[in-house]
Amino acid sequence: MNLPVSTTPPDALLVRYGELALKRGNRFQFEQALMRNLRAACSSIEPVRVEREHGRLIVFAERRLESLAQRCAQVFGVTSISPAWLAPAEPEGICRVARGVLDDALAALPQGARPTFRVLTKRADKRFPLTSLELDRFVAERVLREGDPLVIELDRPQLVLGIEVRDGRAWVFARRIHGPGGLPVGTLGRVLCLISGGIDSPVAAWMALKRGCEVRYVTFHARGFIGEPALEKVGELVRVLATWQGSSRLLVVPFAPVQLALKAVTTSALDEGYRTILYRRMMQRIASRLALREECQALVTGESMGQVASQTLENLSCIEAAAELPVLRPLVAFDKQETVEIAQRIGAFALSAVQEPDCCTLFLPRKPITRGRIESCERIEQRLDLETLVAQTLEQVETLDLA
Amino acid sequence: MASVYLDHAATTPLDPRVRAAMAPFLEEQFANPSSRHAPGVRAAQALAESRRRVARALAVEPRRVVFTSGGTEALNLGLLGIARAARTAGRDALVVGPTEHACVRGAAAALEREGFELRRLRLDACGELDLEHAREQLDARVAVVAQMLVNNELGTLYDVRSLARLVRQRAPHARLLVDAVQAAGKLDCAPRELGADALALSAHKLHGPKGAGALVLASEFPLEPLVHGGGQERGLRSGTENVPACVGLGVALELAELEREATLARWRELRAFFVQRLALLPGARVLEAGRERVPSTVSLVWPGAPAAVRLHQLERCGVFASAGSACQAAKHELSPTLKALGLSDDDARSTLRFSFGRTTTREELEQALAALEQVGRELAPLVR
Repeated sequence: MNLPVSTTPPDALLVRYGELALKRGNRFQFEQALMRNLRAACSSIEPVRVEREHGRLIVFAERRLESLAQRCAQVFGVTSISPAWLAPAEPEGICRVARGVLDDALAALPQGARPTFRVLTKRADKRFPLTSLELDRFVAERVLREGDPLVIELDRPQLVLGIEVRDGRAWVFARRIHGPGGLPVGTLGRVLCLISGGIDSPVAAWMALKRGCEVRYVTFHARGFIGEPALEKVGELVRVLATWQGSSRLLVVPFAPVQLALKAVTTSALDEGYRTILYRRMMQRIASRLALREECQALVTGESMGQVASQTLENLSCIEAAAELPVLRPLVAFDKQETVEIAQRIGAFALSAVQEPDCCTLFLPRKPITRGRIESCERIEQRLDLETLVAQTLEQVETLDLA
Repeated sequence: MASVYLDHAATTPLDPRVRAAMAPFLEEQFANPSSRHAPGVRAAQALAESRRRVARALAVEPRRVVFTSGGTEALNLGLLGIARAARTAGRDALVVGPTEHACVRGAAAALEREGFELRRLRLDACGELDLEHAREQLDARVAVVAQMLVNNELGTLYDVRSLARLVRQRAPHARLLVDAVQAAGKLDCAPRELGADALALSAHKLHGPKGAGALVLASEFPLEPLVHGGGQERGLRSGTENVPACVGLGVALELAELEREATLARWRELRAFFVQRLALLPGARVLEAGRERVPSTVSLVWPGAPAAVRLHQLERCGVFASAGSACQAAKHELSPTLKALGLSDDDARSTLRFSFGRTTTREELEQALAALEQVGRELAPLVR
């Protein structure tokens, strides 16, 4: 990461957003959500004020604007961020500020670089005496000096000195930090993600967050058989994901009684092979009930097609049949390596990679079924009082709010 | 007569609130944070909480905080770790600030023995970093640049941001390692604001425990660990974590940040008072260097007697101060800071340092001033 360092800190951050500008019907709500999310994300660094201005958000803070810019680059819905300096809305005043901004951008260039360059004005304030094109030329003529290592190029320049004139003030900037894109968390509704300590489910949750879902988490913990570090690891993963949404709720389901009950009714060699599928069907059932309680509209899992022997279409169908809500599988067509790359990028991989047993390693069948049949699942489950088992489990669920 | 401790740049007393936060981890909560049982998990949680506190104070993500045994280890890890990892990429030079702490100079010398080219920055006549000279030291061969943020003898605040800017320009692959040991808790040290890639801090300089520090990273880059083993601290610093000390660091840094503005305001007042009265001592002058200073340190050049003699006299009056940094004091070396400022050897040898802490009061300074006046009177006949 190359951090440019300026002598006078910028006055604010211009935050741009993409897709949501297109969603005319609920654009206002989208913007409000993004403003709320930006404020919340920044609050751990510095309190900020966020203003909305013609398709842009402006983040004001007393200090730490560089750290805040990096933080805003982790807020979904943001496409780019520019640290910006304020100038009076008149051509001469803009030039005065612009030279400093350009110096700053030039100082961050490696020795010998000669990027293509242009001035690019956006003018929302039509009372301004010059048109955008005129101001581009006016500023370029006054600000550029002989010896600046720049090549003027109007088409796709590498370095843009941006000027935005609106509401009686002008913003000048030259740097653009990429945002993560996506939609503001919370604008698409709420989902419940089944999370284990593995590599896949945190990435699935991250992708749901990216598309605007608020994510709550449920994990199945075989307390009594599996130690607390397994649960702690899930908690740490949820905290990493909280970088992208703020405080996150983790529901902990004690799963050992369910597993013991299922073990007791799968004693024959054939039935034993169904255990893994049956565990997962119970997870879907319990998660569906919790989703209703938490007002979530869908379940999210880290399953993908054919990644492990048990993830056949037949088995996935058996598992999904027990769910009472739509099941979203953001990773369905991912190769393992693609998932690992995202996990590394979001900082979850190192945590997931720590070997920790989870509930799925308990009472494993010697020969797991790879082409499960729903009728067989249901035939075995008839031996149990499913409703009571689910109801008793739900009573024992623990709620953790993590940040 | 109560004693007056004016050597807080060497170390500070433990804040009772920090001590209280640490106590459970010295007593009943003794478990190893890597243990899989419940007490181990609780220790790991405390460690994670402390990591979040440090991260919050420095505006980075928690995983960027690497706990170490203190400032010295953090700086060694930063300097040696960056340089050794960059060597494979063909970068084989390092640049070290003009007044760095002995641990940076020592680590740099070790790298020099490994074949690195060592380049040194220097101060200008005002005691600021000579940036023109720095520009000439930086090129594509440089792997790491180490520079302190606040001088440990004068409190001078160095222009690290401008240095960072030069590094980006002239040596875009070099990493800037900032020694914030004397700065943490006294000013905003968020590495991304400074343009630093890594930042070292120590707990015992901010009313925390000894044996705790951290290397804080601004981003992910190759870093060769010094200590190998169980893979703690993301493999960057193996060894069972010192849980009570890490807890102490987190709380101490958080408290320092919380009370920073109030403390600085008090120090500014105390310093103005102290400096004004010191100027009345016959023959003495206060050293002022640089445009900006942290107001917790005062250096006094008082020719006529070696600092060691004056300090001994002061101690008999119950006043504890120092000559240069404690590490140098122990080795009887001349201060590179004072030499860099162009002081004569005699003047450098007769320079006293007084440094304030959060608990320093005006009454304490008055007592110190009275002692100084007495020492001046007693020693005067010997000097002439």
